[in-house]
Amino acid sequence: MSSKRASTMPAPLKPPTSLASSLIIAEHASLTGTHLITLGSNTVVHPRARFNSTHAPITVGSNCIICERSSIGFQSEAAANERQGILIENGVVIEVGAVVEARTVGEGTIIEVQAKIGKGAVLGKHCKIGPLCEITEGEVVPDFTVVYGPGMRRLDRSGVEDLKMKMVARQIEVLKKLIPSNLAKFQ
Amino acid sequence: MSKKQPKGEYIETDTGNKVSRRSQIIGTTNIILGGKTVIQAEVIIRGDLLRTYPASNPSEKQGNTVAVAIGRYCFFSRGCELRPPGKLYKGQFSHYPLKIADHVFVGPSSIIEAALIGSHVNIGSNVVVGKFAIIKDYVRILDGSVVPPNMVIPSFSVVAGRPARVVGEIAEGEVDGMDLREVYRAVGNG
Repeated sequence: MSSKRASTMPAPLKPPTSLASSLIIAEHASLTGTHLITLGSNTVVHPRARFNSTHAPITVGSNCIICERSSIGFQSEAAANERQGILIENGVVIEVGAVVEARTVGEGTIIEVQAKIGKGAVLGKHCKIGPLCEITEGEVVPDFTVVYGPGMRRLDRSGVEDLKMKMVARQIEVLKKLIPSNLAKFQ
Repeated sequence: MSKKQPKGEYIETDTGNKVSRRSQIIGTTNIILGGKTVIQAEVIIRGDLLRTYPASNPSEKQGNTVAVAIGRYCFFSRGCELRPPGKLYKGQFSHYPLKIADHVFVGPSSIIEAALIGSHVNIGSNVVVGKFAIIKDYVRILDGSVVPPNMVIPSFSVVAGRPARVVGEIAEGEVDGMDLREVYRAVGNG
């Protein structure tokens, strides 16, 4: 079924890419735009994840998980302080349907299902943005913040961030076996 | 798959499942559909997220793995997603099967990562069901709810909120309205 549909899709403009050799990127992921998209080593991109570099470059670190239907990239013209693009640091998990227009997403941050990160926002390290939560445009979220429910916040200083990073690494090991990578398609 | 109508929206299988041509089903060999289930356009079912942790029960056959099991008369609305949950257990990460019983309705754009969903469950639109949630029979989840991971929802509850809580009970008369046979018949290539 899916193979039939692929033929009806017009080939989108291929953006310049810099992909690590140990990257796992599913065939049905989409990379579009005109600026450089950099994806780091051991990162996993699920099918139907979308990267759009039309307005600014995108850089993703190593050991990240980008789930299906998530959308990464500015959806409108970048402001002067946003020209350097989107930087997603190491060990970030972006779950299903999340929309990320942040300038920076700090190390080990988890953006959960259908959360929205407003344009130009800066997320600190080891944050957790709960399901359906929204971060407004240009907001700066300090390290270790947990955003949950209808906009409630707290700091998580439990000190288990190393364990969380290890868990992400384990998850990536498993996903590497499950998701067939098609690196050649995006190079 | 080659039925009489060549260009309909839905493909009807031998067991009466109506699967949209525009659904995005990944890992079809690991998905079981009980029959008479409707899958609308843009629904994602992640059959590729298999269990990798070996089963403790040796009688369970290896290689006969199921990632998503769905019963009869289920209805998956446009844009929803079924995704087997994953967790770290004894130092190993593994996904676990997502089981859905009969007459389960899932509203548009809802994301389901539950472990188990009982019969006659009605899930509204834009609902997020967290990892390893267990939903028993006759439950209604209202629109926009976020069911937290590992939550167990008892039978005959009405659930809503972020995070979701039990806000009421299903009245006796309501139970008849949760049968999806009529809804199934209404779906077609017309």
